[in-house]
Amino acid sequence: MSILIDRDTRVLVQGATGTQARFDIRYCLDYGTRIVAGVTPGRGGESVEGLPVFNTVRAAVAATGANASAVYVPARGVKDAVLEAVDAGIRVLACFAENVPRHDAAAAVAAARAAGARIVGFNTNGVISPGRCKLGGIGGDRAGEIYAPGRIGVCSRSGGMSAEICWMLSRAGLGASTCVSMGGDPIVGMRMVEVLEMFEADPETDACIIFGEPGGTHELEVAEALREGRLRKPVIALIAGQFQENYPLGVSFGHFAAVIKGENDSASAKRRLLVEAGARVAGSLEEMPRLLRQG
Amino acid sequence: MRLLEDRAKAWLRARALPVPEGRVAATPGEAGAIARDLGGRIAVKALVAAGRRGKAGGVRLAEDGEAVEAAARAILGMELAGQRTARVYVEAAVEIAAEFYVSFGFGRLAPQVVVSRRGGVDIEAVSASDPGALVTADIDPLRGLRIWDAADLWDRAGIESGLVPQLATLTARLYEAFHAADALMLEVNPIAVTRDAKLFVVGAMMEIDDNALFRHAAWRDLGLDDAGPGGRPLNERERAVVAADRKFPGGAIRYTELPGDIGLFVSGGGAGLLQHDLVLAAGARPANHSDLSPATIEKPAALFDAIFANPGAKGMLVGMNYLQLLPCTLIIEALLVSLRRNQVDPRRFPIVLRVFGPKEDEARALAASVPGLRYMRAGASLEEAVREIVAAVNGIGS
Repeated sequence: MSILIDRDTRVLVQGATGTQARFDIRYCLDYGTRIVAGVTPGRGGESVEGLPVFNTVRAAVAATGANASAVYVPARGVKDAVLEAVDAGIRVLACFAENVPRHDAAAAVAAARAAGARIVGFNTNGVISPGRCKLGGIGGDRAGEIYAPGRIGVCSRSGGMSAEICWMLSRAGLGASTCVSMGGDPIVGMRMVEVLEMFEADPETDACIIFGEPGGTHELEVAEALREGRLRKPVIALIAGQFQENYPLGVSFGHFAAVIKGENDSASAKRRLLVEAGARVAGSLEEMPRLLRQG
Repeated sequence: MRLLEDRAKAWLRARALPVPEGRVAATPGEAGAIARDLGGRIAVKALVAAGRRGKAGGVRLAEDGEAVEAAARAILGMELAGQRTARVYVEAAVEIAAEFYVSFGFGRLAPQVVVSRRGGVDIEAVSASDPGALVTADIDPLRGLRIWDAADLWDRAGIESGLVPQLATLTARLYEAFHAADALMLEVNPIAVTRDAKLFVVGAMMEIDDNALFRHAAWRDLGLDDAGPGGRPLNERERAVVAADRKFPGGAIRYTELPGDIGLFVSGGGAGLLQHDLVLAAGARPANHSDLSPATIEKPAALFDAIFANPGAKGMLVGMNYLQLLPCTLIIEALLVSLRRNQVDPRRFPIVLRVFGPKEDEARALAASVPGLRYMRAGASLEEAVREIVAAVNGIGS
């Protein structure tokens, strides 16, 4: 088992004819992801990397039985792309575009949640269940080497750090059950705690790693779930961005979501609250394997 | 991007919301002329992006044109929240019998509304001293805020029944205006009620979503949001990066200059934050922070240009997380372009490259064509790359 995606996941690609989509589709197919269709309005009947392209998601689903979508549509088209996919019965989506307008993101997430669909992103490099399936560019050309299969659930607010964490796990002889890059936009489809609750229910996940940043409340919600006993598997946390505390509130240095607005938003506050809730907080990547092996 | 009172109110007025008449003046004479045209009692307000203007003396009431000129003379040039007041907003004053508060913003997943029976005062103070006076609710973005939803909120806020229908209608229409503007925040403080029970939007602040400017041509060319760290204006290198970010399609670059000496060319949001922490932990100080999600070479090249142009930078870490979406060659090609046009010699300005991922071999071969570039061995960690650049910059001149 894994969460969100597995060997049986049948993937369609929205915006399949764009440059980034073509680049990623090749690597995903090589990895073994069962990509079954592309969708680009107006380009129905063409093919991309040997895949049939359809004008609508509904037509693609009818012809191929796709149940997940990799959304390469640019930010301004993301809301409609998500609504269309959810309408056609897609239940897992990865949305890669960055800087989706906030009202569009809220509407897309509301539509997905109302239908019981899950969005990874916005502004994600994807999700991977090592050895089984990946959606998006996650892992690039060396997904097999960087993301080893294993029993650790990884949830990262940074796509780059999801690679660094899993690469470190691989080098330590460990691996991931699933690795979710949550997305760096201010509104994302799933709360970090919701991803961890999925790992909690997954019999093939023994422990979780989270990568957090300043700003927002994802990490605080994880701490609350730990305190309340909703999460019982060990949680190892790396929270970056302490340097931001040297600067005034409200200054953005990275992801737009990573803006400190209140006292509990800082990296130090999040570390402290997680430690108090029973999480193991790492000072660096290199420390993580030892913390995982504490059992 | 913050819209000042004049633009925020123009947006609301265009949607037929009850906004008092008002216009912008840059001189006392202009203010007087507007006042004489409007007639009656006038409010003169500093046109700056600062809360609590009233307390700081940035809002004055005046009875006639002459008094308005005097008020404008006093306010123009005033320093408010670190900004010099260059313009005033001259508006017909409303006779206020009661004041309420409403604002819209975003919660974790959805828009949020806050209403309060205590308007016209600092809302943070109300939240601290009388939290029961605030009623907060999430708004389903697919459904919007209906009049009866809003009526329920005002009911819970303890408003007398007679006023609830009008307040609820106004609140629902303000939400529509908030949504139609692609606003991240809209605060109306106060909503004023006159003695004859008419409602007016007297104070309005709005922040719009820069990522939705493609839907709002009228706002696209407004000035850059120029608050750097500590509220200082952007310097020329930071402005150049913002300009390049707007000019070239695809991806994104951000650049904030800092007082240290290690240039940081980092990407991927979180990985950049971690490397900045690591530089500080190694006892060194970054000359900037940056973030990059590249698509073509123009944006990364513009970011390299800014780091090379910064007189404080003595060396640079190109610390990419393992690249998953792009070939390494794109970063190295951008670097070579910028090295050439800025005439930077890596033998004197140490540059450490941790650029791993697709087309890494070709990227290494490209980098080898420039003497002095220090490409980390395959598999080196983020920590090792940070140690390498800190040692190299500390070793300059020794």
